Amino acid sequence: MRLVTADQAGALQAAADTAPVDTAPSVRAIRSFVRGRRRRAWEDVYAVGFAIVVALIYLSDLLSDPLSRLGPASGRAAGQAAGQAASQAVAGAALVIGVAAGLLMLVQAFGPLALSPADSSWLLLSPLDRRSLLRRPTATVAAVAALTGLLGGVLALTMAGPYLHHGSLALPASWLVLSAVGGAGIFLAVVFAAALAQPHPRWRARLRRSCAAVMVIALVGAVAGERWTGLSDAITTEFARTTTGTLGVVAAVSVALAALAGALGWLTLRRFPASVLRADSTRTGTALMAAAFLNVPLLTWIAEDNHWRGRLLTSRRWPGLPPAMALAWADWRRLGRRPALLTVLAASALVPALAGAAITGKPHGVTIAAALLAGGIVSGLHGTAATRRDTNDQTLRRMLGVDPAAALLARAALPALLAAAWLTLALTLLAATGVLSGWLWPLLGLAAGPGVAAAALRMARTAPINPADQGPNLAIGATPPWLISRMLSVIVGLIGAFPALRAVQAGHLHAGTFTAQLPLSAIVLGGYLFIASSLSP
Amino acid sequence: MGNPVVAVRGMRMAYGSVVVLADIDLTVAAGEVVAVTGVNGVGKSTLLTCLAGLRSPAAGTVSVLAGPPRDTPAFWRAVAFVADQPTWYPGLTVREHLELIRRTHEPVRGWCLPADDLIEIFGLPARADASPLDMSSGQRQRLSLAAALARPSSLLLLDEPEQSLDPGFRRELAALLRDGYAGHGGTVVMATHDPVFALAAGAREVRLSDGGIEDTDVAHGEPTAPPPVAG
Repeated sequence: MRLVTADQAGALQAAADTAPVDTAPSVRAIRSFVRGRRRRAWEDVYAVGFAIVVALIYLSDLLSDPLSRLGPASGRAAGQAAGQAASQAVAGAALVIGVAAGLLMLVQAFGPLALSPADSSWLLLSPLDRRSLLRRPTATVAAVAALTGLLGGVLALTMAGPYLHHGSLALPASWLVLSAVGGAGIFLAVVFAAALAQPHPRWRARLRRSCAAVMVIALVGAVAGERWTGLSDAITTEFARTTTGTLGVVAAVSVALAALAGALGWLTLRRFPASVLRADSTRTGTALMAAAFLNVPLLTWIAEDNHWRGRLLTSRRWPGLPPAMALAWADWRRLGRRPALLTVLAASALVPALAGAAITGKPHGVTIAAALLAGGIVSGLHGTAATRRDTNDQTLRRMLGVDPAAALLARAALPALLAAAWLTLALTLLAATGVLSGWLWPLLGLAAGPGVAAAALRMARTAPINPADQGPNLAIGATPPWLISRMLSVIVGLIGAFPALRAVQAGHLHAGTFTAQLPLSAIVLGGYLFIASSLSP
Repeated sequence: MGNPVVAVRGMRMAYGSVVVLADIDLTVAAGEVVAVTGVNGVGKSTLLTCLAGLRSPAAGTVSVLAGPPRDTPAFWRAVAFVADQPTWYPGLTVREHLELIRRTHEPVRGWCLPADDLIEIFGLPARADASPLDMSSGQRQRLSLAAALARPSSLLLLDEPEQSLDPGFRRELAALLRDGYAGHGGTVVMATHDPVFALAAGAREVRLSDGGIEDTDVAHGEPTAPPPVAG
C-alpha cells in the first residue's frame, strides 16, 4: 500500500500552488511530481519481481494438468472420452463458472473502482478532473478483469476439451483464442457493468444477487452432474455440438457487450460520486492491507461489521447462565441472527466433493483432505467473533470481569460444534457423491471437529498483525513472524484431525481411525485450552 | 479517613528518557470524586493507566483497594475503567450489551443500575435495539459510561468522560456520578478538561503540571496542597 509521506504532501501542495489560478492542476502533473520525489528501493522491485515469478510457477503447475487435455493425446480420446469421466468435465466447467461468478462478487464488494488510500485522501476531494483521476484504477481493473476472464475461458475449454468434436488432433488454436477472447469479454462486460452500478445501491445489490445465483446454480450443477451421469452425458453431448462458429459468436457478442459497457462507464466517470469512491476506497484499502498480511480475520471482521450496520434488531433477554457461559452466548446469539451465513457455510460443504472430482480427477487425495481441513477451520472461526474482538481490544473483557480461562473454555463449545457439523456434512456429501465409499465417514467429522476447533480458536486469539513485522528490516525471503503464527494454527488443526484427514486421503476407513481420532481431538483441544488459559492474565 | 481506595506514594513514570510523572503522591478516600486536570501530555491518562494496573511505575508504590493493581478478573470485578471506547461485540444490541455486562457480574452485590434505567438515563431509547456500530461517537461514549454503571464496582476510573458529550448531558452525568455512584460509596478518579463538569460532580481537583501534582478543591477553587513538585 502506498502512503503519502510529509514530503509527498508538500509536493502535492507545491504542484497545486504552481498551477494557474483559474485552472486546476492536472492529475498527470501531480502524479509525476510525487513520482519524482519517491525513491523506489531496488529491494521493492526485486520483491515484486520475485513474487510474480513465484506466482507464475505456481500457476503453471496448477494449470499444467488441465492444459494437457488440449494436447493431441486428449484429442484422440475425444468422442470416446477414454479415461475421462464425463462428470469430471461437467463439474470442472461448472466450477470454473462458479469461481468466476464468485470473483465477480468479490470485485463488486470492493468497488470495482477504488482509489489508493493516498489518492482518496489527497486527490479525490479536490478540483481535479474525476475521469483523469479514475483513469489509472479503471485501466488496472480492466486489465485484471481481462486477464482473469482470459484464463477462465481457457480453463472452461480445457474442462470440456475431450468432448469437443474437432477431429482427432489437438484442439485448433482458433478455439483456444476464441475461448480466451470470449472469457475476457464476458468478464470485462460484467466488471464494467459493476462499475456502472457502483453508485446505485439497488443496482449494485441486483448485480451481486445475479452473480450469487449463477454461482449457486453452477455449484449445484457440478454436484448434480457428478451424481447423475445421465445429466453429465446430456451436457457433454451438447459440448460435442460446439462448432468454431458457435465459439466465434460467443466471443463476438461478449466483446461487443464489454465495449458497450466500457463506453457507458467511461462517460459516467466524470460525474462519479466522491462519497461512493471514498467509502469503497477505504474498504478496499483495509482489505488489501489485510490480504497482504493474510489477515483473514480482519477481512471477516470488516464483512461482519458491514452486515450489522443499519440493521435494527430485536433485543432479547440474556439467558440466566453462569458468567462465562453468558459471555460465550454472545456468539451463539450472533450466529442465530445470521441464517444466511449458516446456509452459505452449509453450502460450502460441497467444496471438498467438487475439489475431489473437478480438480484432482481422483476419488480422494490430498486436495480433498486440505479442503476439509480449511473448511473445518473456517467454520470454527465463524464461532469466534467475540473472541477475536477481545483479543484485539481487551477493554470490554475487563468491563465484563470474567475469568479468561473460564471464558475460553465456554467459548470453545461453539467452534467445536461448527467445525464438527461442517466436517460431518462435507463427509456426508463426499460419501453421497461416491467420492468416498461407505456410510461411516460422517461420524468421523463429529470426532475430528473439536481437534480442528483448536486451530480456529488459536487463530482467533492470535494477536493483531503488526505491520512492523513485515517492515524493511525483515530480510527478503525470511518468513515474517505473523505468517509463522498463522501456520502454527493450521498445524494445530492438522494434528488435531490427522487420523481423519489421513483416512480421507487414503480413501479407507478403519475402526482404528475412530479410536485414534476421538482421544486425539480431546487431547489437542484440551491441551490448547490448558496452555492458552495458563498464559492468560 | 479509613483505608484509602487509592494510595500513590512517590510514583515516577517515564517513557524512555521522557519523564511524564515525577514523585506523585495521591490519596483518594472511599466515596470521593477526584478530577485529575492539566494540559495535554501532562500525564493524566498515564496516571489512570497506572491506577488500572496496565502500566507499572518506574519508581514508587501504587495501591488500589489495599493492594497493587493487577490485570486480573478479581481486580476488574472491583474496578471499572472507561478510557477508549471498547470494541463492541457484533450482532448484539445496545440493550443486550448492557444486560450481558450485568449478567457477568451476578450475583450483583453493590450499587449499579439495570439496563432499562441506564438506557433511559443515558438517552439511548431510540438506539436500544441497534448495534453500537450505528451510533454516533457521542452515543457510543454514553454507552461506554452506561456500561460502567451497569455493573457493581468500588472504583470508577474515567479518562475524559466528557468527550463527545453535549453540555446538557455532561451535567446529568456529573450528577449521576456524584449522587448515584459516589453517593452509594463508590470512588471516582477521572481525568478531565472540563472544570464545569468537575465542579458539577463535586470533585476534588488534582492538577498535574510539569510532572508534579497540585491538589485543589474545585468547590472552593483554592489549592489545598503544596505547590507542584518540580519534575
